[in-house]
Amino acid sequence: MTITSYLRRAYSSFVAHVFDIPARFMAFLLFLTLLFIPLMGLAPFYLSVLIQANVLAIFAASWDLLVGRTGQISLGHAVFFGIGAYSTAILSSTVYGFGLPLWVTIPIAMLVGSASALLIGFPCLRVKGPYLALVTMAFPLILQTVIKWTPLNPVFHGENGIKIGVPPLFPFLSIRPYNQQRMAEYYFSLIMLFICAVIIYKIANSKTGIVFASILDDELASKACGINTTKYKLMAFILSGLFATLAGALQAHFSPRGADPSTLGLTMSFTPVVVAFLGGIGTIYGSIVGAYVYTLLDWFLLRDLIPRLLPSIPYEARQYLNLLIFSLLVLIFVIKWPRGVARFTTDKLEDLEEARDLDERGPRIWKRYKRKREKSSSI
Amino acid sequence: MIEQIIVYGAISGGVYALLALGFTLIYGVSGVVNLAHGSFYMLAAYMFFVFGSSGLFGAETMLTSVLAVILAVVVVGVVGLIVYRLTIHPVLGDEVAVMVVTVCLALIFQQLMLLGFGADFPRVSWPEGSFLLKTTSIFGVTVEYSRILAFIVSIVLFAMLLMFITKTKIGKAMRAVSQNREVAMLMGINTDRLYMLTMVLSAMLAAIAGIFITTSIEKSTGAWLWFKPLALSFSIVILGGLGSIKGSLLGGFIIAFAAKTVETILPEGGAIVGVAPLAVMVAVLLLRPKGLFGKRVEMED
Repeated sequence: MTITSYLRRAYSSFVAHVFDIPARFMAFLLFLTLLFIPLMGLAPFYLSVLIQANVLAIFAASWDLLVGRTGQISLGHAVFFGIGAYSTAILSSTVYGFGLPLWVTIPIAMLVGSASALLIGFPCLRVKGPYLALVTMAFPLILQTVIKWTPLNPVFHGENGIKIGVPPLFPFLSIRPYNQQRMAEYYFSLIMLFICAVIIYKIANSKTGIVFASILDDELASKACGINTTKYKLMAFILSGLFATLAGALQAHFSPRGADPSTLGLTMSFTPVVVAFLGGIGTIYGSIVGAYVYTLLDWFLLRDLIPRLLPSIPYEARQYLNLLIFSLLVLIFVIKWPRGVARFTTDKLEDLEEARDLDERGPRIWKRYKRKREKSSSI
Repeated sequence: MIEQIIVYGAISGGVYALLALGFTLIYGVSGVVNLAHGSFYMLAAYMFFVFGSSGLFGAETMLTSVLAVILAVVVVGVVGLIVYRLTIHPVLGDEVAVMVVTVCLALIFQQLMLLGFGADFPRVSWPEGSFLLKTTSIFGVTVEYSRILAFIVSIVLFAMLLMFITKTKIGKAMRAVSQNREVAMLMGINTDRLYMLTMVLSAMLAAIAGIFITTSIEKSTGAWLWFKPLALSFSIVILGGLGSIKGSLLGGFIIAFAAKTVETILPEGGAIVGVAPLAVMVAVLLLRPKGLFGKRVEMED
């Protein structure tokens, strides 16, 4: 009796909170898909591609927290990514570093990342708009040059970077080593992505998030309301740096290249921008969808499909062609759907939702929609 | 040593200022942060290579070189116009989207050049045996005539542009739009056409700077050489203040002197020299958040 009533209540709350809101239902489906992808028997290589997509999603979400929610444009997010990758690599590499386990290095890397975000953000946030964008762009380049500098080679190992090797993440799982290892890594990155997504969602919907939105809308007006905008901007910068460092640390652990100067490169700075734009700026699901769209385009379309369709092109020219096609596709996406693919889809779904007859649905939903209608008509 | 810093710094300062002027002009008038500015520079160097050094017009003489300069500048201007109309115009007003689009453009140009010319660095220079390759000495420093030509051309062009912007009707329209877009539209200025004109002008300035820097200073070009001039121009422009013409002139000289000083003091630190402009920019911004002559900023503070 009680169990069935519980189940019924759980079901109705699921319907009210997830099933009947298209955006959330899409997110739920996405989560389920991500959860079951590795069980479909993918090759370990493809799993590692998906791991990269998860890391990319965390990175893009961290960028989006700063730019999409607070409006402080940063084009140098690679600086946090690189700091995360390098500090993790130095701490956990058994050959060049201290050989600490993953559970210790990632929190320490995140601490280092937020401290550096404080150091970078404090002077940077005095400048605004395009100035901020271009100034932040300078930081990863400066750091990259420092890391490549020959006298510092004993610490950072120059162009080669520091390889960690694949750490035994869950020692008890290593029966069929490679595949199980990849699976464990995939679920680890997915859980990290999920935690980050929930934290960022909660931040964006808290009082702090409302202050962030007010800064995004009009910084002067929120200053006039007595908000210490510098404090909140710095807070957004540090939070964003924290998650970006996490992404960098995960990348250093899971990618075979470890931490190398390319983690601080210009491409790395623009990757989260492109990813967030593909998905839709200012939303959490936008970054995740964008990361998967980006990865699918990058790996499965360009590196898999095109060589099969056009086998006669020499290898080098194909490399050039890949980036050309990729940039063209991103260009078309940004011009065609400036609000992002995910946002475009949810907007379309919501239009359908409005058109549906409201009487068909339960009384609670109807009330909620009525309230929403009244609110929107009053504005 | 100090004479060397002064002479070489002044010569590259003039060309750098010309490069930055295009960047600041398009930002000041239409608010576009054009991250593909360095691509126009790179494109112009390649066009000069195609029309001049590759022997398209027969043997390389001074006449063909001058023709090549003109052709390259015109081609880059047309490319800038087409690219602006097709890609930047639809997303105008959204700062981040403009940056994404322009970076994509820069990558597209890079890949096109890689596909067309391969990954090597073609040598771009004035024709063999012309007087431009001979040297003279100023204050005891040996300088090639080509560098002096680059300096003179850039200063003359800078002065002409200043005249154009302050004296002619179109220049006044540009300044009006940069001060207040809505009111300028109400006064009957066709902002769309003005934006296109500014874009062409900005691309051409980048092209001229690109040709003179590659032919006289760098001596070669490459598909990846769009980022260095971009970093240079944005550090100059931010140093001087976005949208300010005076600022880009002064910033160009400051950055050139700083880079030259670092290069002279640290002869073995090759990579560090590339970062010097960025470091100067960050240092100045910490002292003056809007640059030396910042314009077109919100009514903050």
